Amino acid sequence: MIEKPNPLLQVEDLRMHFKLKGGLFSKAKFLKAVDGVSFSIQKGETMGLVGESGCGKTTVGRTILKLYHPTSGKVIYDGNDITEYSDKEMFPYRKKMQMIFQDPYTSLDPRMTVGSIIELPLKVHNLYQGKDRQDRVRELIQMVGLKPDHINRYPHEFSGGQRQRIGIARALAIEPEFIVCDEPISALDVSIQAQVINILEELQEKFHFSYLFISHDLSMVKHISNKVGVMYLGHLIEYASVEEMYQNMQHPYTKSLMSAVPIADPKKAAANQRVILQGDVPSPIHPPSGCPFRTRCPHAKKICEDQVPQLKKLNDDHMVACHLLS
Amino acid sequence: MSDEKNNLLEVNNLKTSFHTSDGIVRSVRGITFHVEREESLGIVGESGCGKSVTMLSIMRLLEDNAQLEADSILFDGEDLAKKTKKEMRPIQGNRIGMIFQDPMTSLNPLFTIGEQIKNPLKRHQNLSGKEAQKKAIQMLELVGIPDPAKRMRQYPHELSGGMRQRVMIAIAMCCEPELLIADEPTTALDVTIQAQILDLMKDLKKKYHSSIILITHDLGVIAGVCSRIVVMYGGLIMEEGTTEEIFYQTAHPYTAGLLASIPKDTKEKLVPITGTPPDLLNPPKGCPFAARCKYAMKLCKEVQPEFTQLSTQHRAACWLLHPAVKQKLGEVKIR
Repeated sequence: MIEKPNPLLQVEDLRMHFKLKGGLFSKAKFLKAVDGVSFSIQKGETMGLVGESGCGKTTVGRTILKLYHPTSGKVIYDGNDITEYSDKEMFPYRKKMQMIFQDPYTSLDPRMTVGSIIELPLKVHNLYQGKDRQDRVRELIQMVGLKPDHINRYPHEFSGGQRQRIGIARALAIEPEFIVCDEPISALDVSIQAQVINILEELQEKFHFSYLFISHDLSMVKHISNKVGVMYLGHLIEYASVEEMYQNMQHPYTKSLMSAVPIADPKKAAANQRVILQGDVPSPIHPPSGCPFRTRCPHAKKICEDQVPQLKKLNDDHMVACHLLS
Repeated sequence: MSDEKNNLLEVNNLKTSFHTSDGIVRSVRGITFHVEREESLGIVGESGCGKSVTMLSIMRLLEDNAQLEADSILFDGEDLAKKTKKEMRPIQGNRIGMIFQDPMTSLNPLFTIGEQIKNPLKRHQNLSGKEAQKKAIQMLELVGIPDPAKRMRQYPHELSGGMRQRVMIAIAMCCEPELLIADEPTTALDVTIQAQILDLMKDLKKKYHSSIILITHDLGVIAGVCSRIVVMYGGLIMEEGTTEEIFYQTAHPYTAGLLASIPKDTKEKLVPITGTPPDLLNPPKGCPFAARCKYAMKLCKEVQPEFTQLSTQHRAACWLLHPAVKQKLGEVKIR
């Protein structure tokens, strides 16, 4: 079952529209970064969110953490609707929800030592006192595979992969339950990517974290996720368990996205039937009417122009938003 | 070894280093390879392994603090290493085209797309303004840019990333180069756009009978495009062979490590390569991969391994393959 009762995190019809500067007399325009996304994540589960750049996957992650105030929709964490919570009310939830950022070069303060970077969340939440806190920082550093003598060094002394580990240690410091991983490996080399993914998996086994794993690397998402959502132009167009998604994908966009992934195996690559899409993703400021994908869809019909397809259940493990499938 | 007459490019013992305030960075430390006519050669390696510097050395586009040494860089029989900057001009952008990684920064924001394509046509092909205009529109059409006449008047910022990379390809291919060097041409692009661009490169290669050197860190991209692969690490070539040999008869532990780091179809745990690449300010004495290699012996840390020829096309630099070591240890299975 893709939707089980009592999820840790539930997102209902989430919308995030950014207001763009309008002229004095012209109407303000809106960038519909996220336009009606619903899904849920269980404890200890990893949900992968994939899509091309600009599809709104990062915005979903940030809106869940209330780094943006959503235009409409609900974010329900552990049974509590946190959508309208003030910063003060959010504070206890900050301890439970953390984030690992994409770029390990800009997400660490260059003027803080590694020790103080990892210690900061402990200070903010007033956890562990005195010597215990230092021990905790040391423990965290070792947990992510760095050495205790790295504590007094600065971020610039580390490589990209090591910096990403510092980011992970910082996110783990206050023992969160839910972590948004926003493209945590895309800035890293292949051999280092596997190291970071393994750390994330080991920590999940140990502490039963839930991850929202945002990535454009479809093979890595397949590897790490229990279920996968595919986004296009702010819409969740297909949502299924990982087995269903990769064996029985239905949406024409998902099919072309998956077939475009390069396969690191020359024989399989030669046999791969690619569905190459024409053109680029339309602008989210002027999205097409009806189905967001219709301008690039090889099967688009009249109905696709008129109506926005809703996410419908195909079977217990699989939901898809396409007129042609219902 | 392949037929030498059929080689478009032969690089012999290329060494490139950079003089920096921290000391001398030895980015490329003596590499030898060749590119045959009409073939696609892939060069894989992690960031900092020297793959881009190799290409900039061939094109002679290195900055002033760089020092290039090579026995020879033979392009169609001419030694590029001995040419002056002025003598390189008729080759750069004409007989060798280049596509860079980042389409956002490799186009000049101050000139229209049209001016940037017409420039090499006027300079190298001596076309008049009108002829260049016509050819430029044809090229844009060929690389799949809709409404090319209108695009000619636009500036790079008005185009999407995929479109910009198409323009870069149009510029690189407009003089029908014999060799196209593509340095991570699709890294900054989404997978769907990447597939379009790779197909376009393959089509143009066929049309113009060009050779391609594709530099990438993505083994998937290489598997789909290239017939032969060079694996680089720490400024040296670790393994070289046909695509099948590299993927299915992997001989070097580094190549095997790279292949094991990418997720397979199963949920099996990934096998990462531990540690980080060597610092080329103080390159290690022995094999550059020794510090991260599961099979490293004392010998590996002391002496740089020589190449062992495994088939006519396949060779790898690893002590495990050396006959004397093999005799002592037997066959070591690296995968």
